[in-house]
Amino acid sequence: MWTRWSDIDRMFNAMDLLQNRMNRMFPDYGKFKSFPAAWDALQSGPSTNLYDVGDHLEMKIELPCMTKDDLNIKLQGNYLEISGLRKSDTPKGYSAHRVERVTTSFTRSFTLPSEVDTNKVQAQLANGLLTLTLPKSEAAKPKQIEIN
Amino acid sequence: MNDRTKLVKREESMPKTSREIPALAPLVDIYENEDEILLYADMPGVDKKDITVNIDNGKLSLSGVRKIEPTGAVQWEEFGNVEYQRTFSVPQTIDVDKINAELKDGVLRLHLTKSEAAKPKQIEIKAA
Repeated sequence: MWTRWSDIDRMFNAMDLLQNRMNRMFPDYGKFKSFPAAWDALQSGPSTNLYDVGDHLEMKIELPCMTKDDLNIKLQGNYLEISGLRKSDTPKGYSAHRVERVTTSFTRSFTLPSEVDTNKVQAQLANGLLTLTLPKSEAAKPKQIEIN
Repeated sequence: MNDRTKLVKREESMPKTSREIPALAPLVDIYENEDEILLYADMPGVDKKDITVNIDNGKLSLSGVRKIEPTGAVQWEEFGNVEYQRTFSVPQTIDVDKINAELKDGVLRLHLTKSEAAKPKQIEIKAA
């Protein structure tokens, strides 16, 4: 048996070294994920990112093949709900070889980290990416505090 | 002999991770009619200038790079920088010069026109 902790440390170091070597041999391992998850299978809706930019929040949502008419955005206080319907764009008169792109409806709701001024919200859809600019309400805005 | 020196002189290459951003296969739909094959690929957030479509030796490869700059403190992030990458085999009957591509609403649409020789033809029977 080991008598000192340093033996165990050394063993772990050896294992780390081996792992690093293996990682260098197969640099792409684990980088190539399989397909993006179909919405309905694992997620309740499209992927989103949320950023806090001081006086406003910015949300980005992946919405390929959707126009502004397909989307519905509701906001109340700090509760945001996005729903939409992705219509099929299958052309007429063609036979399908492969259909992977899902056509489904979704609803996703979020509790935002702060209250939002609902009148000043902007939404922009470009390249299949929806950007929501959500200005924080006056009470939730960061404030500079002066020292007397 | 030459081979041998090559073997001896071969340097150990331990390249650093060659790609910084993860690769992801885009979801595609493929449709066909008598005149063309259509390929739709979802690439949300990819700019037109960051897409390359290559066709070489019967292999059609798509690549689209998406770069997302965080604009502030990240609260949550479910997607990020990615390279959409996928390769297809294309039948010989495609007229390579007539391929055209368009990008709209984050969807890349490729029209692969079939060459004249490959289109189905009605053969008339002449009365003897």
